[in-house]
Amino acid sequence: MNELFGSSRLARGLVSSMAWLCYAFLLVPSLIVIPISFGNPGQIEFPPRQFSLELYRQFFTDAAWWGSTVQSLIVACLTTLATLVLAVPAAYALARSRLPGRGGLQGLFMMPMLVPVIVLGLGLYLQYSNWGLLDTTAGLVLAHVMLTTPYIMVSVMSGLSHSDVALETVASIMGASRLRIFFRVVLPQLKTSIAVGALFAFLMSLDEVVVAYFLTGTDSMTLPVKMYSSIRWELTPVLAAVSTLLTVLSLLIALGIIAMQGKTEASQ
Amino acid sequence: MAQSSAHSSSASDLSPWTALLLLAPLTAVMLLILIYPLGLTVWTSLYNGRFSFDAYVELASSTLFLRVLRNTFEIAIGGTLVSLLFGYPVALHLAAQPPRKRTAYLIMVMLPFWTSILVKSFALVAVFGNQGLINQFLGVVSGGTLNVPMMFNRVGVILGMINFLLPFMILSILGSLLALDRRLILAAETMGAGPLRIFWKITLPLSLPGVLAGVLINVTLSIGMYITPALLGGRQDMMVANLVDFYTRQTLDWTAASATAVALLILSGLLVALLGKVRGASGLAGAGA
Repeated sequence: MNELFGSSRLARGLVSSMAWLCYAFLLVPSLIVIPISFGNPGQIEFPPRQFSLELYRQFFTDAAWWGSTVQSLIVACLTTLATLVLAVPAAYALARSRLPGRGGLQGLFMMPMLVPVIVLGLGLYLQYSNWGLLDTTAGLVLAHVMLTTPYIMVSVMSGLSHSDVALETVASIMGASRLRIFFRVVLPQLKTSIAVGALFAFLMSLDEVVVAYFLTGTDSMTLPVKMYSSIRWELTPVLAAVSTLLTVLSLLIALGIIAMQGKTEASQ
Repeated sequence: MAQSSAHSSSASDLSPWTALLLLAPLTAVMLLILIYPLGLTVWTSLYNGRFSFDAYVELASSTLFLRVLRNTFEIAIGGTLVSLLFGYPVALHLAAQPPRKRTAYLIMVMLPFWTSILVKSFALVAVFGNQGLINQFLGVVSGGTLNVPMMFNRVGVILGMINFLLPFMILSILGSLLALDRRLILAAETMGAGPLRIFWKITLPLSLPGVLAGVLINVTLSIGMYITPALLGGRQDMMVANLVDFYTRQTLDWTAASATAVALLILSGLLVALLGKVRGASGLAGAGA
């Protein structure tokens, strides 16, 4: 089976048992939350001794939980749209122009990925308290646009590097306008990488907690901030229902991305 | 113009003005929402009525800051070492699988990567907490006498940390292992080298670039960690990021908060630069293929 660590049975057994311990450690905690969410609404209990949907009822009817969920979905949708509108043309310009200083701009767009998020949280907190943007949806969306830009950038730039420049050249020679080329030739080829980037940005914004914790208050509180304070102060079993829903959503998004990436790889 | 410079410039190139027009909005947003707040943080740390380095001098002599800095290094390095200790065997195990099986296992490794950090924190409390699964089990087995505190202390932070760090470590090492030329191992085997010797002389040395990159990624990620120490650690496990929050919200000392944030920014900047060097030397060759 294996050349990397030889054919010794002892070594093989040791490696596989450590590996399985890790797989279990990475997976089991998140999976165990699922049965807990259908169990006793009074306390966190495993294995659950009763079946009930009470925790889900509490989640969907409690204004604090459901309200923050709706707020998170709104913020994530607005963030994804705004980042796409800003980042896709910028990525296109970086890939198809010879502007001096392109490297510097690209560094600027990738920078949010490299700065510790707490530093950004503090900086935006200082800035927003001067500008009256604290506890506003617009302020949070703006911050999330900055945070998600690198991820859409990476996805779209890689799509552009795989797309066929010759098609654009031909369209241009045949007299198509720049705008027409962009919408008719470039965008259709980028469909998959834009969708992958968008799903990723959506999930990132939906799960983002540190910046949201600094910038939001009671009016604009998002789901992760609500979860954070709930884990910290009360540890209610409703968290199990929220976690189950979020895990299912992440899983669907991840599978969507994997499926789309598989499709592009197969076509290349 | 396009004709003169042969293939490098073609009809598909945008004119500089069009490119500028397309780049301007995002650049403006980034200057306003990224560069400005970072600048404001640096400024706040230096200017408090007058321009001075007092905030940094105070930090350097503050027992709280120094204790938190020591915590941060201890937790980041400890978490990284545990993650390396377990991540390496996982990478070996993955590298040894046939491709189809490997994909299935990789999904298990990647799933936590996609899960919200809050879901993971809650799940870890549910399993390792004082009333969690493991302690319930220990209680039943021992007749209620045994309870091992594994949450809201150093152990809890490390558990949360490695739950977050492991995928990065595994993927980084796996990259090196998959790039390794297996004919080397075949040749060594033919010439009579034993499995242990093959591992020490070939597999391990050739996977070191992946190990180094994985270690640097782990340290860089953990040094700025906020949620995990806040939710899974005790009061004495505060890390630098938590100290920034403490100064901002508890003591309302924005100058100290900013100076702490700048210190963290410099530290992680150095690590990122180092990572860039390591990646530039080893990773690019693999990425270009």
